[in-house]
Amino acid sequence: MLNGLMNGNRWQALFEAIPEYYIPGFLMTLRTAVCGLLLALVLGMIFGMFSTTRSRILKALSRVYVEFFQNTPLALQVVFYYSCLPILLGGTGMRIPKFILGLMGVGIYHGAYIAEVIRTGIEAIPAGQSEAAKSQGFSYLQTMRYIIMPQTIKIIMPPLANQALNLVKNTSVLAMVAGMDLMYFTDSFGSSTGYFAQAYFCSALMYFIICYPLARLARYLEIRSMRQPVAKVKLEKMMGDSINV
Amino acid sequence: MKKRNWKKMTAAAAILAMTAMTLGACGGSSASGVEAIKERGVVKVGVKADVPKFSLQNTATGEYEGFEDDLAYAIAGKILGISMEEAKEQDKVEFQAVNAKTRGPLVENGEVDYVIATFTITPERQETYNFSPAYYTDAVGILVNNDSGIDTIEDLDGKIIGVAQSSTSKEEFENYKEENGLAVEPTFQEFATYPELAQALAAKQIDAFSVDRAILEGYKNDSNKFLDVRYGEQEYGVCSNKENTELAELINSTVQEMLDNGEMTALMEANGLTVE
Repeated sequence: MLNGLMNGNRWQALFEAIPEYYIPGFLMTLRTAVCGLLLALVLGMIFGMFSTTRSRILKALSRVYVEFFQNTPLALQVVFYYSCLPILLGGTGMRIPKFILGLMGVGIYHGAYIAEVIRTGIEAIPAGQSEAAKSQGFSYLQTMRYIIMPQTIKIIMPPLANQALNLVKNTSVLAMVAGMDLMYFTDSFGSSTGYFAQAYFCSALMYFIICYPLARLARYLEIRSMRQPVAKVKLEKMMGDSINV
Repeated sequence: MKKRNWKKMTAAAAILAMTAMTLGACGGSSASGVEAIKERGVVKVGVKADVPKFSLQNTATGEYEGFEDDLAYAIAGKILGISMEEAKEQDKVEFQAVNAKTRGPLVENGEVDYVIATFTITPERQETYNFSPAYYTDAVGILVNNDSGIDTIEDLDGKIIGVAQSSTSKEEFENYKEENGLAVEPTFQEFATYPELAQALAAKQIDAFSVDRAILEGYKNDSNKFLDVRYGEQEYGVCSNKENTELAELINSTVQEMLDNGEMTALMEANGLTVE
């Protein structure tokens, strides 16, 4: 195995395979991850807010979504979208594009986790804050926008970044359904040549290229949100806004 | 000494010890010559668990049954200096189930002594592994759904053909196409396991399932059919570690001997394989 790792010919073969295997795989993974993250954030925000409202229906809806998707494996969900969803949608021989499969898979799955992150973040803000806002005539959405969310961001940034990074790495489940992503091409190159060490090394490097800047960005946002005493500034701006209206 | 320093040193020592153990394990397994196997007393062989007639794990007994498993016993007997029957009776072979993705690395890192797993001999693979003379010649087959409207190879134009990772089915198709001047442009998708491929075909996510005929036989059912083509003849060989030349030579000579004296043909017939 060590000999294989040091073998120059194998590295040569890897470099030659980069345009054909790794570039399209990398782009597919990047595309899936970016769009999947957007979907996950949207779903997470909607359902996270739902679970903090007073409406029982919205709360129940959010619970069902979160519990279902958190407690079933992502691989199973993706295989289900791949082979059962087309049949349920009525078309025999209907095929969902791989990009959509990946986007749905990681987006919906991580949306459930992000919803929980946001819920706990909101619940961590003392109830006195909402009560004070209410007494000053803030609506629910205004309270969220100007009082709760700015304080929540600080708390949720680290777990949110965690979710984003996991989401990128979890796009690799696409490989199970021939998803043409980075992991798929890695397996394809590795198994056709037998140069697994090189195949996986290059793949790891490419996932790292996506994840590392994301991790740095999250850290930067976290530090920035800590530095600013947001509530005061935003409140003044909001007062200005309401006077203009 | 301060408590914190002590903790750090313990952690460092633990990491060092683990590294040393890992390296030691690597060194030990790659140096398993014929003598080392004899000392161990059992031969480790990688075989498939899901290919009828070739190597199928009996779900009731856990035993591996088929032509390739018998061949594994025959070679193991040769290594240990006993007959094939004795090797079988005395359980001298420790089977490990492999697939197209795991068989190569398992041989290379010494987890198994050799692999007999419908492993096609190619020049590219021969650079990495040792292959015995071919013990069986197979061809690529194409399985399609009965209701797909696909009857000939030309009907596959614009369709999706599912193939197994690290198989040669795609190259063989391209060669056949070129040789016969066929105007078909299918796309290929690779899957890690045969059950995944069979399932993708059943769910109509792929139009055709193309792997070696020996394997495809196991997935033939009432709702799918073979296309009537035979191409891409390929030879299966026993694969072993290239660096372990002593073992490689013994395997090669055993296979050659069995081919010459008709034992190989007898084994095939005993397992219900048609001999051409």
